[in-house]
Amino acid sequence: MGLIRDVKVLTGGRDWRGRSRTPRSAAAHEPPEPPREFPTGWARTQVAQAARRVLQRGVLTPLTWSQTRPEVQGRERLDALKGPVVFVANHSSHLDTPLILGSIPQHLGKRVAVGAAADYFFDARWRAAVTALVFNAFPVERHRSRRLRSLAPYLLAKGWSLLLFPEGTRSEDGWMSPLRLGAAHLCVTQGVPIVPIALRGTYAAMPRGRNWPVPGRARVVVRYGTPLHPAEGEGARAFNARVGESITQLWAEEDLGWYGSLRAQARGELALPRGQQFPAASWRRTWESTRPLVGRAPRRAWRS
Amino acid sequence: MNLTLEYHRSPVRYMTTRTATGTSVGGRASGWMAANLSPLRLLNRPEPRLPDAGWTRVRPRLSGICGSDLGLLTGRNSPYLSALISLPFTPGHEVVGDTLDDLPDLPRGSRVVLDPVLGCVPRGLEPCTGCAADQPSRCDHITAGRVSAGMQTGYCADTGGGWSRMFVAHASQLHRVPDTVDDERAVLVEPLACAIHTVRRVPIPDGASVLVVGAGTVGLFTTMALREYTKAGPIYVIARYGHQRERAREVGATEVLTSDRAARALRRATGGFLARPDRGSEYLLGGVDLAFDCTAGSGLDTALRVTRAGGTVVMSGMPNAGVDLTPLWFRELNLVGAYCSSGHDFPDALALAQSAPLTGYVDAVYPLSRWRDAIGHASAAGRLGSVKVAFDPTKDQ
Amino acid sequence: MSRPGFVLEVDERTPALLMHEGEGFRLEKLPLGSRVIYPPESLPGLRDLDAQIRHALANPLGREPLHELLRPGMRLTIVFDDLSIPLPPMRTPDIRQRIIEQVLELAAANGVDDVELIAGNALHRRMTPAELKRTVGERVFRSFFPHHLRNHDAEDKANLAEIGTTRHGEVVEINKRAAESDLIVYVNVSLTAMSGGPKSVSVGLASYRSLKHHHNVHTLRHSKSFNDPPNSAMHHSYNRMAGLLGDNLNIFQIETTLNNETFPDYVGFLNKREWEWNLKDQAAYLAFKRANDLAPPKHRRQIWHRTAAPYGVTSVTAGDPIQVHEVTTRHVLRQQLTEVDGPADVGIFGLPYICPYNVNSIMNPILVMSLGLGYFFNLYRGQPIVRPGGVAIYYHPVRNEFHPVHHPSYIDFFEEVLAETTDPVAIETKFEEQFATDPWYIHLYRNSYAYHGVHPLYMWYWGAHAMEHLGDVIFVGGNRKTTQRMGFRSASTLDDALEMARERVGSSPSINYLHAPPLTMADVR
Repeated sequence: MGLIRDVKVLTGGRDWRGRSRTPRSAAAHEPPEPPREFPTGWARTQVAQAARRVLQRGVLTPLTWSQTRPEVQGRERLDALKGPVVFVANHSSHLDTPLILGSIPQHLGKRVAVGAAADYFFDARWRAAVTALVFNAFPVERHRSRRLRSLAPYLLAKGWSLLLFPEGTRSEDGWMSPLRLGAAHLCVTQGVPIVPIALRGTYAAMPRGRNWPVPGRARVVVRYGTPLHPAEGEGARAFNARVGESITQLWAEEDLGWYGSLRAQARGELALPRGQQFPAASWRRTWESTRPLVGRAPRRAWRS
Repeated sequence: MNLTLEYHRSPVRYMTTRTATGTSVGGRASGWMAANLSPLRLLNRPEPRLPDAGWTRVRPRLSGICGSDLGLLTGRNSPYLSALISLPFTPGHEVVGDTLDDLPDLPRGSRVVLDPVLGCVPRGLEPCTGCAADQPSRCDHITAGRVSAGMQTGYCADTGGGWSRMFVAHASQLHRVPDTVDDERAVLVEPLACAIHTVRRVPIPDGASVLVVGAGTVGLFTTMALREYTKAGPIYVIARYGHQRERAREVGATEVLTSDRAARALRRATGGFLARPDRGSEYLLGGVDLAFDCTAGSGLDTALRVTRAGGTVVMSGMPNAGVDLTPLWFRELNLVGAYCSSGHDFPDALALAQSAPLTGYVDAVYPLSRWRDAIGHASAAGRLGSVKVAFDPTKDQ
Repeated sequence: MSRPGFVLEVDERTPALLMHEGEGFRLEKLPLGSRVIYPPESLPGLRDLDAQIRHALANPLGREPLHELLRPGMRLTIVFDDLSIPLPPMRTPDIRQRIIEQVLELAAANGVDDVELIAGNALHRRMTPAELKRTVGERVFRSFFPHHLRNHDAEDKANLAEIGTTRHGEVVEINKRAAESDLIVYVNVSLTAMSGGPKSVSVGLASYRSLKHHHNVHTLRHSKSFNDPPNSAMHHSYNRMAGLLGDNLNIFQIETTLNNETFPDYVGFLNKREWEWNLKDQAAYLAFKRANDLAPPKHRRQIWHRTAAPYGVTSVTAGDPIQVHEVTTRHVLRQQLTEVDGPADVGIFGLPYICPYNVNSIMNPILVMSLGLGYFFNLYRGQPIVRPGGVAIYYHPVRNEFHPVHHPSYIDFFEEVLAETTDPVAIETKFEEQFATDPWYIHLYRNSYAYHGVHPLYMWYWGAHAMEHLGDVIFVGGNRKTTQRMGFRSASTLDDALEMARERVGSSPSINYLHAPPLTMADVR
């Protein structure tokens, strides 16, 4: 009896999670919301790694490969590379991460952690737990609102390679936006190389707002570039520019071929593919970026 | 024929009640035991025979139930007394009644109260030392003489007792009751006389501090007698029930205490130190000058523990509990007994009964036929707010 | 950052609020519009306490550094506050131990041989050896007990010394050893604004003869409140005595203040604001409340008395008593003071299981009264949280139970004195002398572990101001007989209590609830 009465008094004015509203007069005295950090350490334990390997190789990669036609290029450029490194890619689809994780060479792929938006993936606990387990994700602050100490330097120091998307978010229309400095800054301070990656066709295959790839196994391309090492005394800004150029070149390689893209870059004709040739808000921006990638024989390096 | 409540010999019943009331559970149900298991029965007997000239038949108007009667019925009384009674007998020694035979100086039909002691005079013997000194309560011949053994009327087979329609009494035992004293007061004269006798047993210096343990009939009357016949200073009364506290104050108690905090309160009032032994209750080093135990023994322990060294403890009422006598030895106390009455006690009691605030003391009167209810009521008198329970044999058809 | 104290106004969003009631607590839904006075959140404690102490001893206010005051051949007496503070007792090591150890370290380094430690327990009960050990620490205890680590004995006539008489005719008589020392080091814990400073030596080491000048009904009725020294007649008397002591003795005062970490982590909800309770707090509340309600009373008491507070120390200041105390008072107020906008018709107080006089003991009805109408009622500055003639509602079971060893005179006071009168003045005139000089009480105070005979009367005086101020006092959940004996009333629920208060304050009274402990002092404008 006593217990029931106690529970009634206690739960009066509280919701099912036991939260009470703040009395009006106390609103001015509310404490700042404490930063809530979802712990991800457990996702890097041996057990979780084993589970992840099963999930990735048994479910995620086969599923991705069954729903799209991925084409992976430039992987051999990583053969001599030793971790940890930072993989940096353009980002326009939820397919991006599975494609990269499914195509990274074994010797680096075993220890990769993925930076995921704290405000999206780590907002709800269940989503945070799934993301951390399947992708080995760790929270990255996009808006610097909560001042969490980033885990990235710590992970690098522990020998984990990172996969980061320096645009900060998935593309709205398939084109790229400027790369933020975070990744470059991290590599400069930690002395870690960057592997630039360009993804093509993923927007067409699964654009923002879809939760399953478009039917018909769209072709997607994952293209690894040559690892870039920060030079002695190089600033984060300069290094970031180099990374941008590299991704730009890898992007263009799809259209111009390898050599063509190199030439175009040398002529200064390439710029970050932000769709600047199309007016803002034009239908053609989306139209172009959703154009299916046509499977073509690789262009010959030397034009006849 | 004479309707009478008779106490008969029944070793089984005696042992049963004695054993049962000795336990804590049985003690609580002692009223029920007394009413249902005691060797008491209601029956018709032939009218008692007058033993000799100088005796008269008495028809009781009211007959009180005394604490010692209850002790008898519950088997708590000491076996010591078994040699001083003759079975079967009719209890009842607090009696007011009418005489049925003419006696010199006491015409038949006189309203009298009974001084129950059966000393040498009623027994028709040469006075023993006690009786010669006008102290019949100390009589040595209570098993001899004209009537059978019995320390008082009410324990003697030949005289009968108050709990009947009729008994016999010797002229020396009877005292005429003035018309100003009604029956309810008159039936209290005997216990009043005992109380007066009790306070006269010891010299009480002026201003002496006195403790009365218990506020039943005996305790209240002792307090009354202390105020009336001594110049005692503060009188502390240990009372258990609310109405007893009220009455104790009415009859002159300075302060009324409960037994659990008596020691502390007395320490505050009389000075001294309070000692707490590992086991047993607290006691005082210091305390009252005199203590009267009016509880049939259960309060004796308290009395011994709170009386100052060299003080006096008076035992009024029949003791039926064992007690640790260490304080008696260590504090060099005087332990004094007080039994019944003698000398001027009875006339004084009669006088006191006229003036004392005794209204409402007898507030439960039963016919003999309802004796089980009466005994049960008397056993729980304090709890039920009564002081004295009495039989009215005239009510029986 | 700890948040400042504030006054909550109960609205429809406000959950039921926590209320202490003796060895227990409950949640109570207060009427809409009631104001609840919350203390500032616990301030952060000092990080490197030992370094802070060292610093304070080396840089005292208005004094030479302690090590310069110590020299071979001197008589040094270290006096410390007894177990009446802090409440609840703090986790070991006690702050007093830390300070005394450093003082002794300095004394040893400077070749002082004649050192005595005395608990400033005045007329309180003696501390047991275990309690002394807990307060001063194993090492100090081992080195000094029993001959040089003692309780002050206010009835040991041979060991009292009269220092003089103030201009108001107040006799100042204190412990002789301290009076004859070359240096007194007083180690204090200031839990409330009333303690410390001039009170330390003049009260802690005094005798009845000296204490009766300020511990009396007149003084206490003119101490409004006794937690606000400038407006406290009692403190004016302390000040006069301390002045005299300062002229005659060499006192080096070390004062400390504590934060509001009153309850250990596992009952953290007792330290939190109710609408901020998370699920864990709520589960803990339910579990503790159930377990507590079901526990046998004896165990329940043991458990409560075994909890030690994880206090943080917010300041350590040393030097001249007056200068030090200014700093100390500032720190105390910083932790406890909350501004309140005016008194209310009804004041509500939840009384906890402990008061200064029942550490490891039983809180008897007299102590409940002194905690409620004395300590809690007087936790104000300016004016009480209840208007004159208003009603105070307390939460406490007020059981008729006493500790026979610690509080012998309390039993007699309750049974005899209160049965006769509850008027403090009448009690003072008729009974104080008797109780103060009763040889048995004196014997128990000196040789057993009993409070002095006069102490229950002091407790009663403690509430004199409140009794004069209040129109009615009601105990929710209080034992009817005991509360009645003390001249108060009891109610079974808050609604009943407010109903009973109606004749005084009408049907919709304004209400102030002092949300304590942790200690809250209302600054009522």
